[in-house]
Amino acid sequence: MNSVLIIAKDEWRYWLRSNLAIYSSLLFALLLIATSIITMVQIQSKAAHLNQDQVQAEATFVDQPDRHPHRMVHYGHYVFRTPMPLSLFDPGLDAVTGQAIFLEGHRQNTATFSESAASAELGGLAWLTPAMVYQIFAPLLIVLLGHGAITREREAATLIPLVAQGLSGKRLIWGKALALLGAIGVLLAPMVVAMILALLAGAKLMAVLSLLAMYFLYLCVWCWLTLLVSAVMAQRATGLATLATAWLVFTLVLPAVLVNWVAKQEPIPGKIATDLEMIVDTRKLGDGHNANDPAFDQLKSGLLQQYQVTSVEDLPVNLRGIVARQAEEKLTHVLNQYAQRQADGEIRQAQLLQQYSWLSPTMALGFASRALSATDLYHYHLFLQAAEKLRFDFVQGLNQVHVEKLSYYDDIRRNGSEEQGKRARVDAANWSILEEFRMAPAPTGTRLINASNTLWILLVWMLALACVTTIKAGRIQQ
Amino acid sequence: MSLIAAIQREARFTFRDRAVLAWALVVLALSVTSLWAGVAEVRQQESRIQALLQLDQQERQLVLAKQSDYGSAAYYSFHLTYDAPSDYAFAALGLRDEIPWKHRVRMLALEGQIYERDAGNPVLALIGRLDFAFLAAMILPLIIIMLLHDLHSGERTAGRFNLLLATADKPGQLWFSRALIRVGLLWASLVLPLVAVSIFTGAGLVTLVFIVIALTAYVGFWLLVSYWLATWRQSTPTILAASIGVWMLLSVVIPLGGRVLIDQAVPLPSGASILMTQREAVNDAWDLPESETYAAFIAEHPQWQDYTQNVGDGFQWKWYYAFQQVGDQKTQALSQAYHQGRVLRDKLASRLAWVSPPALLERALQALAKTDLAAAMTYEQKVRAFHGQLRAFYYPKLFLAQPYEMTAFEALPEYQ
Repeated sequence: MNSVLIIAKDEWRYWLRSNLAIYSSLLFALLLIATSIITMVQIQSKAAHLNQDQVQAEATFVDQPDRHPHRMVHYGHYVFRTPMPLSLFDPGLDAVTGQAIFLEGHRQNTATFSESAASAELGGLAWLTPAMVYQIFAPLLIVLLGHGAITREREAATLIPLVAQGLSGKRLIWGKALALLGAIGVLLAPMVVAMILALLAGAKLMAVLSLLAMYFLYLCVWCWLTLLVSAVMAQRATGLATLATAWLVFTLVLPAVLVNWVAKQEPIPGKIATDLEMIVDTRKLGDGHNANDPAFDQLKSGLLQQYQVTSVEDLPVNLRGIVARQAEEKLTHVLNQYAQRQADGEIRQAQLLQQYSWLSPTMALGFASRALSATDLYHYHLFLQAAEKLRFDFVQGLNQVHVEKLSYYDDIRRNGSEEQGKRARVDAANWSILEEFRMAPAPTGTRLINASNTLWILLVWMLALACVTTIKAGRIQQ
Repeated sequence: MSLIAAIQREARFTFRDRAVLAWALVVLALSVTSLWAGVAEVRQQESRIQALLQLDQQERQLVLAKQSDYGSAAYYSFHLTYDAPSDYAFAALGLRDEIPWKHRVRMLALEGQIYERDAGNPVLALIGRLDFAFLAAMILPLIIIMLLHDLHSGERTAGRFNLLLATADKPGQLWFSRALIRVGLLWASLVLPLVAVSIFTGAGLVTLVFIVIALTAYVGFWLLVSYWLATWRQSTPTILAASIGVWMLLSVVIPLGGRVLIDQAVPLPSGASILMTQREAVNDAWDLPESETYAAFIAEHPQWQDYTQNVGDGFQWKWYYAFQQVGDQKTQALSQAYHQGRVLRDKLASRLAWVSPPALLERALQALAKTDLAAAMTYEQKVRAFHGQLRAFYYPKLFLAQPYEMTAFEALPEYQ
């Protein structure tokens, strides 16, 4: 039999006899099963609730009685952020972002009610998800399994006979690597189950396979790092301490330190500050509720000329509706500019963190995993943009109804008597202009491109570590 | 050999042990980094509040100058509310990354405004900062474990174990004093920067004493746990793995399980139901007879009873604000249930934290730094109280139909 295979088999035989390997694997499996079940149950009940809320919000809007169309602009509508299929493995930003947005005329509201703000506070690691178990704790298991791969042989003085028998250091290390790859395969088995469930929930096969490959790549980085340390260190205990330190630094310390650094280096102003700045621009636009606002004089005279009439009451269209429509359009243009600026700030911070991911493979994987699971910043922004588009569309739809289906004569007398108020209403059938809101993940190709920002960091790490380890292993012979 | 002598002997050894010194330096560096970042963040938050206050003030004056009646003045003018960071927020930023600490409110129904989130970048919130509390509660125990796990087994491997035992009167004393010195060094590396920063920023000394007591007790706990595990007759890797297992159980498994159980046991009304109830109440009012709105309004504000009769046709601001108020009244039950649910969850978490020392320490530091849920709730109550003051300011003007005067705004309530 091939010597590489013999070594791999021997390593497995050793693990199966070692209490350390068995107990740590059991602990890992326990953690993984617990987080997976918890995450899945939570996501499913959340999805059911939010879907129900969304359907109800749409039904409530459409069921409103006859009204003045502008009343419906202020009545507004709600959209909810329903979880993506792969979020049962990696919920990503879902827990820390708002779940619902109130959409109304003339304003862009924030996404309100985040889970993390309402949940019991039990420390920084109480938000573990299956993805984080793989990102943070699977490497620990690989370290515990593999740290003694070479040092153990060295300490037991079996290394020299092995080498003396003509086994090259390279073949030795490849054998050990093969054994660890097998372990990674076993480690990934629960993830495969989660992925099958995600497929049933509607995830795309391509995304699921890529996600699996990505985690495999990440664990390979740890496999080579472990073997490298094992090949270089003289003692098993110091090797393990070194690896445990590396684990602590890469998984827990560096990402948090880099967040501190980015927050300091690239601060973003926040919504209220942006709003206050924006008011200066929006003030110039004129109040869309007031058709007599001088800002609309030009619009008015243009209309009079176009329809060859002398008074706005003679227009075949409702001036107040036209003013509202134009004001909303111009206002939205400004609102979107500032919303984009806010989003750009967030993207800049995220990009900076992605660049710093060169320092921590764990952070690199985190970004790639969220990108593929459609739970990253990109998808959060997609949600905000889709919500804004829906807002603009239904507000302008209502303004169109205001222009065409309500006479100016009735409109300006709406506050007169009760009877006049009733005349300034339009039929409830008009409320069906509201479109359904259902968020879908971006195409898998787009997600893969987003993931590739940090994915190749992992690839470079793995190749570099594999090369260095193989070179170092070559020297074991001498 | 007395304990003091044993400690002195071990201290000499320790200062020659490069690994121990390296770890102490790492803790020192992390402590300084986390505190520096904390101070920078708190300063940024403070300067932001100052800038916003000024902008907010200017904006409100501009808006008020353009109005000609109190109804529009109340409608168009917003007020900044904020929760300034406490003197120890730099050590534990706590929930400030997750729960918004600034709002701009106006005299409309408050329930529609108070849940707005001017929160930071979710990516940063998810990964989490390295604040001092996280360093002390989660990372320090791992470093203590690294330093202590080979206390026995390391010497055994090196073949000095029996020799060392032979030179000590009380073997237990020897090992424990060694462990004590190593951990004491880590404790000093963690705490000294905190003391220095507290003095430098002029933060309260009493709080500092409490923080140091909490940290000392916590470090002592991990000293005992790690020491106990390190004296186990097993190989170094097994002891290390078992110690990390204990850390995982206390820092990850119990908090995670506890959080989920608590959240399940104490259901909250969904945010959607609060928002929808509020909106329905406010919007339906447009179609309801005015008398119905006023009846509900007067139930809480009987002093305006005489001013809500024979209101006549046409739009009236006092009616508009009355139904805004009624909107809040109708949402009150849900909103209180949401509030009380969060408080109850927090209370249960504080009890559960007694079986998870890392969670206990983080919660204790957040409480001392006033960045915990209680502080967030206090802020929310302050916003509610301020909103109440705004109503108390405008209601007489609207209901008594006082003539519009700019000078009246000198008495406009200010958020403190």
